[in-house]
Amino acid sequence: MTNRQRLWRIFGPVIVACLLVGLVLVIPWRGHHSAKTIQRAAVSISPTVFKNKSIKSQAIGEKHPYYVPFFGSSELNRMDRFHPAVMAARYHHYRPFLFGAKGTQSLPQLFNMNMMAPQMENGKAVFIISPQWFVKQGVTPAAFKYYNGAYANLSWLKQANPHSPYDRYTAKRLIQLLGDNGTVGSDAKKIAAGKPLSAWDRSLINFKVTLLRNQDNLFSGLNVNENYDTRIKPKEHLLPQNYNYADLQAIAEKQARKETTNNRFGVLNKFYNSRIKGTKGLHNSQRHFNYLQSPEYADLQVVLNQLAKTNTNVVFMITPINAKWEKYTGLNMDMYYKTADKIKYQLKSQGFNNIVDYSHRGGETGFMQDTIHIGWVGWVDFDHRVAPFLDNPQPVPHYQMNSQFLSKKWCHLDPTQQNLNNFTTTELNR
Amino acid sequence: MLNWIASMPNLSAYGTPTYFLYLLLAILPLGIGLYYGKRFSWYEALISFIFLFLMFDGSSAKQMVSLVIYVVYQTILVMGYYHYRQKNNAGGVFYITIFLSLLPIVIVKVTPAMVGHNSLLGFLGISYLTFRAAGTIIETRDGAVKEINWWKFVRFMLFMPTITSGPIDRYRRFSKDYRKVPSREKYLGMVEKGIMYLFIGFLYKFVIDYFFAQQWLPAAENMAMAHGHHLSWWVVAVAYLYSGDLYFDFAGYSLFAVAISYFMGVETPMNFNKPFVSKNIKEFWNRWHMSLSFWFRDYIFMRFVFLATKKHWFKNRNVLSSLAYMINMVTMGFWHGVTWYYILYGFLHGFALVTNDAWLRYKRKHFKGLESTALTQNVARFITFNFVVFSFLIFSGFLNTLFFGH
Repeated sequence: MTNRQRLWRIFGPVIVACLLVGLVLVIPWRGHHSAKTIQRAAVSISPTVFKNKSIKSQAIGEKHPYYVPFFGSSELNRMDRFHPAVMAARYHHYRPFLFGAKGTQSLPQLFNMNMMAPQMENGKAVFIISPQWFVKQGVTPAAFKYYNGAYANLSWLKQANPHSPYDRYTAKRLIQLLGDNGTVGSDAKKIAAGKPLSAWDRSLINFKVTLLRNQDNLFSGLNVNENYDTRIKPKEHLLPQNYNYADLQAIAEKQARKETTNNRFGVLNKFYNSRIKGTKGLHNSQRHFNYLQSPEYADLQVVLNQLAKTNTNVVFMITPINAKWEKYTGLNMDMYYKTADKIKYQLKSQGFNNIVDYSHRGGETGFMQDTIHIGWVGWVDFDHRVAPFLDNPQPVPHYQMNSQFLSKKWCHLDPTQQNLNNFTTTELNR
Repeated sequence: MLNWIASMPNLSAYGTPTYFLYLLLAILPLGIGLYYGKRFSWYEALISFIFLFLMFDGSSAKQMVSLVIYVVYQTILVMGYYHYRQKNNAGGVFYITIFLSLLPIVIVKVTPAMVGHNSLLGFLGISYLTFRAAGTIIETRDGAVKEINWWKFVRFMLFMPTITSGPIDRYRRFSKDYRKVPSREKYLGMVEKGIMYLFIGFLYKFVIDYFFAQQWLPAAENMAMAHGHHLSWWVVAVAYLYSGDLYFDFAGYSLFAVAISYFMGVETPMNFNKPFVSKNIKEFWNRWHMSLSFWFRDYIFMRFVFLATKKHWFKNRNVLSSLAYMINMVTMGFWHGVTWYYILYGFLHGFALVTNDAWLRYKRKHFKGLESTALTQNVARFITFNFVVFSFLIFSGFLNTLFFGH
């Protein structure tokens, strides 16, 4: 055997293997998922579903079953028997598709929505806003990276319009959160500067997106977690056969009392044991928390713009905070209510009028499952407010977007009535 | 400086497919050189340095400082002893040198048990470097190391493919490979084997171990924990799944290290040879983590047996070998770390080796007619395998978590 033959015999199989792998990634696999996979994915609240496309776009695009996106954050993981997914399965026509976990604030949600924009067109959605998002720094780079992959970023860049103030703002945020290196960074820099992407940039994006799409189609449906089988389905039969709001409230309150026996905050026993008991320094620890000045307001604005672009009819919920907990930790409730007011002002002045404001209800028995997440009675009430909106036809929304809400001035504004009035006359009606 | 190093990206060894892409591209010129009969020593030193740097920068930057200090320290010891040994050969000097060589690892292993946190001296791979350094000192005493200089020793210590977790090579063997360039015929054979090892390693580490480590083991551990702080059938599942994880993770890693060594023209010894087909525990240790168990066999077991025989410490040969087994395995337990489960693991294996010898003697005496058939062999395999799995459950530390919540 000559050396050349020997070399071929050694490296030939390696070359063939590399080619085959390349081929697998390049072949446009059809990414169709079974109804069972989608049912599980809808309550998996997993980053894989969140940052990919094939499962969610198939789910939201289907009429039967009718999946409604529920955007939110950690409260979606409070899966007691009154959780929207359980309630819907028992009483309603729609099925919630949950998007959100700890750290999915406005910006990750924007990239999430962008991947299923065509499917969301003229549809409905629920959006749960937590005032806790509105901290000085906004979303952290770590959380953003965890819920946002190259696929989402590149898909967004592909359709970004350098002449839109919203897209320029988003591109700037991308650079702040991810840095300016790599394909994403350098393309975002162009968009942020108002310059269009070159043909080369686009073909590079297209190439990468193709590979990522094939991987998504091939792999996203595997290993969806078992939330559905372990945390949703077994709870359905625990609810009464027929819907009765007053009955459900009473059961929820009773259940809440049963599960909050070891602490004075009215939080779930398990939560108290693992997160509060024995932890020092909690008393008065939140005295200086402030949610009034935050880049999150502008981040929320790009989300609103995205919802307006897809003409989505949205119902918003603003989350409450456990009243006993807030007293213990010294959180300034005046500040909390003003945060809710500022958010509501931003929503209403642009035509987002379906708002469930729970900011004042954190003191009701069983409304909160723990310190900042609703549960039991809260979920029952939430369902009562949201289900009619989703199950019945609604008037077509008319949104009037105003890019002044992207400004630093808005992000930093102290929302006193006078300041809000001033903002209306000098900025919005300009 | 440290801040700058801490801000660099960290590439842990053999962690991701991308790492292999970089590594293989980097050693490609070396391979071409070896094919044409040249060893590009300086290029090799340079890429070794770069990959070591990437392994120990970023969040592990403090470890890099420890590594540098450690290697300087061991080099001084080894070179100092080598020069001393050319003229003299006093036992006391040898023992002091060995003690000094082992001192850092003793401190690193004992610190967590004493003060509850890891020693600042530690870094990833310190155990393996200790074996190389101490082994070199022992070989020097034996007169087996004919020539050594600091540069050769440092390259042996910091041989990049095997630095963090072995296999443990011996200086004498390594330096022989390093001095010469393999013939083209031989080198192509090594590359061929290396590629096969690399792909088996991919299968082990990135495919099979994914299921053990990411899917099955965590699920079983959760179920066991949910069952309460006592034994349940789930703990049995944990034992088997942990054994699978340990084997496929470590064997996969070792295959990578051997494959990359082969590409660099060095025949690093193999670490595993189908350990779970072993018919008794002695055979198991000839098939499992071989570079470690052979090191212990040569430098602890054999040394102890020779010493004790020379000094006539024991009349009975069986007592001698039993004690040697116990010392050997309990030392290995301590080497893993000073916790009750590592030490118990070592003790169990020592005890098993003693039992095995006793059984063989008993069999020879009382079961003369017992023939070795497929049935007896498989029964032996079954017993050995299940004992090993049980000992790995101890080794995993899971019982510590289960019983004491640590």
